[in-house]
Amino acid sequence: MAPVSFNNVAKTFGSTEVIRGISFDIRDGEFMVLVGPSGCGKSTLLRMLAGLEEITAGTIAIDGRVVNHVDSKDRDIAMVFQSYALYPHMSVRDNMGFSLRLRRAERSEIDARVMRAARILNLEPYLDRYPRELSGGQRQRVAMGRAIVRDPKVFLFDEPLSNLDAKLRVQMRSEIKALHQRLKTTTVYVTHDQIEAMTMADRIVVMHDGAIEQIGTPLELYDRPDNLFVAQFIGSPAMNVVRGTLRRTGGAAHVETADGVRWPAGSGGVDGQGVAYGVRPDHLELVGGGEPAVPGEIVVVEPTGSETELVVRIGDAQIIVETHGRTTLQPGDTVGFAIDPANVHLFDQASGARLAP
Amino acid sequence: MSTVALPGVEAATADGGPRRRLSPWQAWGLALLAPYVAVFLVFVLYPVGYGLWLARHPQSYVQLFADPVFAGSVVNTLIFVVVGINLKMAAALFLSGFFVTARPWIRWLSVLFILPWAVPSIPTILSIRFMLNPEWGVVNQVIFRLTGADGPNWLNDRWIALSMAMLVHIWKSLPFWTMILIAGRLAIPGELYEAASVDGASVWQRFRFITWPSLSTLYLTSAILSMIWTLGDFNSVYLLTGGGPADLTHVLATLGIRYLRLDQVDLAMATIVCALPLVLPLVYFMMKRLSR
Amino acid sequence: MKRLLTEARLVLIGIPVAIWTLLPIYHMFLFSISTKEEAFSGELWPAHPTLRNFGIVFREQNYFLNHFWRQFANSLLIAVAVGAITLVVAAGAAFSISRLRTRGGRLVLNCALFTYFIPAAFLAVPMYKAMGTYGLLNTQWALILAMVTIASPYAIWVLKQASDKLPWELDEAARIDGASPLQLFRLVYLPLIAPSLVAVGTYALLLAWNEYLYAFLLLSNDKDITLPVALGHFLSADDSPWELLMTTGLIYALPPAAIYYAFKRYMVTGLTAGAVKS
Repeated sequence: MAPVSFNNVAKTFGSTEVIRGISFDIRDGEFMVLVGPSGCGKSTLLRMLAGLEEITAGTIAIDGRVVNHVDSKDRDIAMVFQSYALYPHMSVRDNMGFSLRLRRAERSEIDARVMRAARILNLEPYLDRYPRELSGGQRQRVAMGRAIVRDPKVFLFDEPLSNLDAKLRVQMRSEIKALHQRLKTTTVYVTHDQIEAMTMADRIVVMHDGAIEQIGTPLELYDRPDNLFVAQFIGSPAMNVVRGTLRRTGGAAHVETADGVRWPAGSGGVDGQGVAYGVRPDHLELVGGGEPAVPGEIVVVEPTGSETELVVRIGDAQIIVETHGRTTLQPGDTVGFAIDPANVHLFDQASGARLAP
Repeated sequence: MSTVALPGVEAATADGGPRRRLSPWQAWGLALLAPYVAVFLVFVLYPVGYGLWLARHPQSYVQLFADPVFAGSVVNTLIFVVVGINLKMAAALFLSGFFVTARPWIRWLSVLFILPWAVPSIPTILSIRFMLNPEWGVVNQVIFRLTGADGPNWLNDRWIALSMAMLVHIWKSLPFWTMILIAGRLAIPGELYEAASVDGASVWQRFRFITWPSLSTLYLTSAILSMIWTLGDFNSVYLLTGGGPADLTHVLATLGIRYLRLDQVDLAMATIVCALPLVLPLVYFMMKRLSR
Repeated sequence: MKRLLTEARLVLIGIPVAIWTLLPIYHMFLFSISTKEEAFSGELWPAHPTLRNFGIVFREQNYFLNHFWRQFANSLLIAVAVGAITLVVAAGAAFSISRLRTRGGRLVLNCALFTYFIPAAFLAVPMYKAMGTYGLLNTQWALILAMVTIASPYAIWVLKQASDKLPWELDEAARIDGASPLQLFRLVYLPLIAPSLVAVGTYALLLAWNEYLYAFLLLSNDKDITLPVALGHFLSADDSPWELLMTTGLIYALPPAAIYYAFKRYMVTGLTAGAVKS
């Protein structure tokens, strides 16, 4: 268990800058998720922490010790790879005990620690099998077992669930989370899947283009995205965004889009400012023609059982609306929506930065 | 971006670039590469450099070109390569088609067919040499029994002997190239042939429009590689004819060794230098192809 | 009817192919079970097949066979040494180039490929001179090292191709697990490319066992030479005992053929795949 800190960390491949001077701290025992679209540098950052990539500039410290020039094996970390990277010629037992064997641990100690890890992960019946004889989920568990056996200061996960099917992914998600709650080891977890990030993380680092967009707890990111990128990246279905001009008259405010639709807005920004107007799909409320309502026309109705997703044309924009329960609406129906200004997110049109609140 | 110097950490270079000290990984990389590098330097680079140095005298070439054996060897080499390669590769292409036919007995035959390649060449070439013996060899005895006439003195005539050496070469290397082309044919998706059958393609059309386009690159590469190896084939000529009769069947590969045995190392190296214009373009082609 | 025609055509190709392939080998076998008189009679099967020739060879009862067992042992020792040394040299180089990405690896690989493509008969003359300079002429080390030189380029190429296919994450996982470069090599890399090692080792072994030219140039003492050179010596006499020559040849040809067929699975996939990359 240990805190991890990144201080002005940068990475260049040739002349391409893939990490642009990143600083942040991970607390002792924290489950930190690095999330972002592919190519944002999250995996590179993790690999620099693991000692698999040289650090071009800045420092990375584990438990207060700068590890820039410390070999991977001396950083006291364990890593779970996307492809699991199990040694195909070793049994599950040998795979899990390999790191201890390399450290010349006693045979009895290796056995005891492998058994302990196997018990935690329900792998006892498979100890003498080879990786090729295991299912995807079992291999995933062996990869985790290999990490647990080490009892390292930090666990690193590099997109560990991407190779699993959707159902197994959900199951393994909660297993990893439960494991963390049990072991309380500092964990750095890289994923491109924001749902994974939201459901597992204590805190999330959203990365884009080699830089940090925002750091915060899942709900902070959801409720108060710092910028348009985070707003659109976090949340599923994604936040609806339209572009228009902020009109502030007296106490009320709205954003007027080029097609003439007026979107109710709250505080923040100045009159006449070009803004991006964001509202999450579950913050549009169907109303029965009363005032004030934004009028729209139903394009598609997608029932999922407990909820119904509507694709609605409002002005020139296609807006996603999530309603609870079922609906009798049909494509072509005209409806009205109420939007609580408190749930509206305003971002500067040019910079994408959040306008207060 | 400059790095902050931290206590207890080796100073990184100003731009965070590579450190001067080798990491254990780089050190081991060099250590594991070293044996081959040593082999290359000691047994390839130095000998070749030394050999080229020996071949530096212009009068070696004057002497070489004046030797009628050399001119004859160049002609023989060209014939050997051009005729040999084309016969061999055409046969390999044809036989690869034969061997991919699914019949149990053809599978068995294909196992036997590899024998000439799997067996060392010396005893088999000597076996063929005796078969061609004008008096006691089985070939001429069969000819005599069938026609009552004496067969030719196979190895005592330049052109017959050279042809026989070529046949020996083909006998030895045909299985290998057939196997390569079989692998190439098996890599062609079967659906293509099924589609062609549905479209009513004849055997020739199937070859012309499906097999050949998929196989032509492999065929060309094989032919080039085979050409390099054929240029270096010492055994087929030396063990069958010994270069005879009267040094008329030498090729460049055996001629170099002949000069070496006669202690004329300068001429031996000059012979090899003269073969380089033939070999190097082919080597260049193969290196390009493999380094892609 | 059409089907019958196809079968007939196949048989018509198959029979000449079988005769062409087997004739020289059968001829060798025929001599080995014939007396000298019968061997020279041109019959296709001896009236009195005999194993006498084998007895003569095994008991070294002929001038040309005085050192048969010694020469057999030489061939074996040299082939095994070449196979083993080539494996060590080539596995190290392939691992270094492919997995450790050693600087200059590409250059070394190109040097190796270049050596592979230069016909061995052309390299023989300078190699002979160099062995003289090194004082190795007429020692078995000369032949062993020469054959390692000739076998290792292709061995490196095949092993490098195989190594490139291993996933990178395995190396990274091993590094994080605490493996030193040598432990990665020994405990992860070598077990994973074992099939290619078998192919490459067999290739080098057979190459050395079968080699005539270098053996005949680099060795001269009757007690040092290998079997193929001894077979060549038979030709020096006018009335060579051909039936004994063919018997010895057959004995000499059997081990490589057996090894080839035993490892055919590895040889064909391992070697043909690397031979011509199309």
